[in-house]
Amino acid sequence: MRGWRTVRSLATAAAILVAAGWATPSGAQSAPEAIKARGTLLGGVKYDTPPFGFVDQDNQVVGFDVDLVKEVARAAGVGVELVKVTSPTRIPMLVSGNVDVVAASMTHTPDREKTIDFSITYYTGAQTLLVPDKSPIRGLKDLQGKTVAVQQGTTLERTLAALAPGAKVLPFRDYTGAWLAVRQGRADALTGSYDIMRGFLRGAPGFKIVGEKFSVEPFGIGVRKGDAAMRDFVNRVLRDLWASRRYHELYRKWFELDPEIPIPGAQ
Amino acid sequence: MRYRFEWGVLWQYRRALLHGFLLTLGLSVAGLAGAIALGILLGTGSAGERRWLRIACGGYVELCRSVPLLVHMYFWYLGLSALKVPGFWCAVLALTFYSGAFVAEVVRSGIQSVPQGQWAAGLASGLTRRQTLHSIVYPQAARIVAPSLAGIFSQLIKDSSLASVISVAELTFQAGAIEGVTFRTFEAYVGVSLLYLVIVSTISQITLFLFHRRAVDMTAYV
Amino acid sequence: MGMDFAVIWRNLPYLLEGLLLTLQTALLVILGGTALGVGLGILRTSRLPVAKQAAVAYIEAIRGTPLLVVLSVVYFGLPPVVGYRLGAYQAAVVGFTLFIGAYIAEDYRSGLASVPPGQIEAGLASGLSRGQVLAHIVLPQAIRRMIPALFNQFVRLLKFTSVASIIGVMEFTGAAMTVNAREFQPLPILATLAATYLVVCSLLSQVGRWLNLRYAIAA
Repeated sequence: MRGWRTVRSLATAAAILVAAGWATPSGAQSAPEAIKARGTLLGGVKYDTPPFGFVDQDNQVVGFDVDLVKEVARAAGVGVELVKVTSPTRIPMLVSGNVDVVAASMTHTPDREKTIDFSITYYTGAQTLLVPDKSPIRGLKDLQGKTVAVQQGTTLERTLAALAPGAKVLPFRDYTGAWLAVRQGRADALTGSYDIMRGFLRGAPGFKIVGEKFSVEPFGIGVRKGDAAMRDFVNRVLRDLWASRRYHELYRKWFELDPEIPIPGAQ
Repeated sequence: MRYRFEWGVLWQYRRALLHGFLLTLGLSVAGLAGAIALGILLGTGSAGERRWLRIACGGYVELCRSVPLLVHMYFWYLGLSALKVPGFWCAVLALTFYSGAFVAEVVRSGIQSVPQGQWAAGLASGLTRRQTLHSIVYPQAARIVAPSLAGIFSQLIKDSSLASVISVAELTFQAGAIEGVTFRTFEAYVGVSLLYLVIVSTISQITLFLFHRRAVDMTAYV
Repeated sequence: MGMDFAVIWRNLPYLLEGLLLTLQTALLVILGGTALGVGLGILRTSRLPVAKQAAVAYIEAIRGTPLLVVLSVVYFGLPPVVGYRLGAYQAAVVGFTLFIGAYIAEDYRSGLASVPPGQIEAGLASGLSRGQVLAHIVLPQAIRRMIPALFNQFVRLLKFTSVASIIGVMEFTGAAMTVNAREFQPLPILATLAATYLVVCSLLSQVGRWLNLRYAIAA
C-alpha cells in the first residue's frame, strides 16, 4: 500500500468511473418488452416469509407471492426466475433492475409510491404480535420496556414505534433473523403481518399470536416507476385470476381461508 | 434514462457512516486483541516441547482457519444462541478464533525462528523455561512477526464487514441501510469501500513508519 | 434447540448440490482470476505510465476493500449504472474474480521477481522484442513459480465462496443456512458445515504445502 500515491490513483479511478457511468445509457425499455426479449420474468420474492415466499421441505421456493409471480410469467408466455429479496433489498433491487417485479409481502404506501409503482391490492393483511406461549404480553399495551423484533425497511417498524413508543424495537435484515431472535429469547415479541405470523406458527409449537390486529396492510406487487405497461399488465393478470377463480384457489391453498376482499376492478 | 450519480447522500448520512466506522474500528480492535491473545496461546503450544500439546494446538488452529469466517459468525450467533451473546461480541469472538488461528501460525514460526542459542543462553543463566520464553524468546519473536501481525490486522478490518450479516451496525450494514432509504446502491457501497480503504491504508502507513517494513500480506497464510 | 442430525440426512441432496456449487465456483474463479491477475501483473510492470497507474489503482483499491462490499457493488450497484443485470451467481463469479485477480497480480509480481534478470537481458540482446521475451521467457517461468501461490488462493476461495450466500447464492453455506432457517437445527447444521470445510480445506492445504516445497520460490 502506498499512502498518498494510492489516494491519487484512486482519484483517477473514481474520475474514470464517474465519467463512464455518466456516458453509459441505461436501458429505457418498458419491462414487458425487456421480459419478452429475455424470455424470463425476474420475480423478486421472499425466501423466509411463510406463506408468501419461503423454502419448503423439498428446498423449493414456494408461496402465495411466488404463485402469483408464476401466473404473471405464464400470462406473458415466458419462464420465471425467482430472485431472493428481503424487506430492505426489495425496492432497491427493483429500482436497480435486478428484478422486474416484486411480490414480497410489500405494503402499498404513499411514501413508497415516490420510488416505485404498485399494482392493485392483491392481499390485505393486518399487523399483529407473536410471543412465546408463556409470555405475559397480551397486546400492544404490554410492550412497555419489552424488545420487539421487526424487519428492517417495513411499515411494521414505523407502526410499532407509533403505537407502542415504550417498546424497544430490534430491526433485522430479514424475517429469519427476527423470528430466530424471538425463538432464542433475544426478543420478547415478534411483530409482522397476521398471516405471516400464522405461517411461522405452523412450524413451531410453543408460540401464539396475541392482541388485536393493528394497522391495515394492503399488499401490492411492485413495478418500476413510470412503467405503465408493466403495471397494467400485472393488474390485468390479477383481475383475470379473480374472474377465473384461480385467485381463490391460490388463496385457499396458502391461507386456508376464503378471500373476503375482491381484487379491485375484477368481475 | 441515464443514471445520475448522487454522491451527496454520503454526506447526508454521514452520521450513520460515522457510527458504522466506529463500530468497525471497535470490532477490529477487540477482534485483534482477542486474536493476539488466543494466537499467542495456541502458537506457543504448537511450538512447544510436548507432542500432545503440539498436536492439540495444531489441530485446533487447523480447524479454526479452515472454517470460513461466516460460519464462525453463525456459530456464535445461531449455534450457541443459548448463551445469548449480543451480536457485537459474537462477531468479536468469531474474529478472535478465525484470525487467532493465523496469529498462532505466525507466532509459531516466530518462536521457531528465534535461534536455539537464545534458549540455551537463557536456561544456562538459570532462568526457567517459562522465564526464558517470556523475557528472551517472545520479544525477539515479536519483532520478527510484527509486520505479519499488521497484515492480519488489515485483513481483520476487512473481515469485520461480515458482522453485518449478524446485524451488527458496522460500515457494511450502514451501506445497506443507506441504500435501503436512498436507493443509491452504487454510491453507498463505493463510499463505504473508500472508508475501508482509508482505514487499511492508514494501518499500512503506520506499519511502514513503525517497523520500516511493509505489512506482510495475509494471503501467504491462506 | 435440538440436536436432530437427521435434518442433514433429509436435506442431503440439497446440501451436496450446494457443496458442488462451491467447488465449481472456486474452480471457475481461480481460472478467471489467474487470467485477470496475470493481465494486471503485466500491466503493472508495463512501461506506459497510464497502464501502470490504472493497474496499481485497481489493485490497491480492491485489496483494501472487503469481499462482501465488492460483491455488493457488482450485484446491487452495477446494474443501474451499466444497464445490464447480473444474476446472483453470475455476480458472485464476477465479483470473486475481480477480487482475487488483484491478489493474484501481487503473486505474479513475486513470480516475476524470481525469474533471473540475466535471462531477460539475454533475450533482449538476442533481438527478441519485449513482447516475445514476455511470452516465451518470462510468463512460463513466472506462472510456474506462482503455482503454490495460486493453489493457496484456491483454498482461500473455497472459504470465500461462503460469502456468496449473503447475496442469495445457494452454495454450501447458503444451502445449509436456508435449511436452518426452516428447520432451526443450528448445531448439527453448523457442525456439518465446519467438518466439511475442515476436511476439504485441510486436505487441500496439505497439498498446497507439498507444492510449496516442490516449487519453492527463493524468499
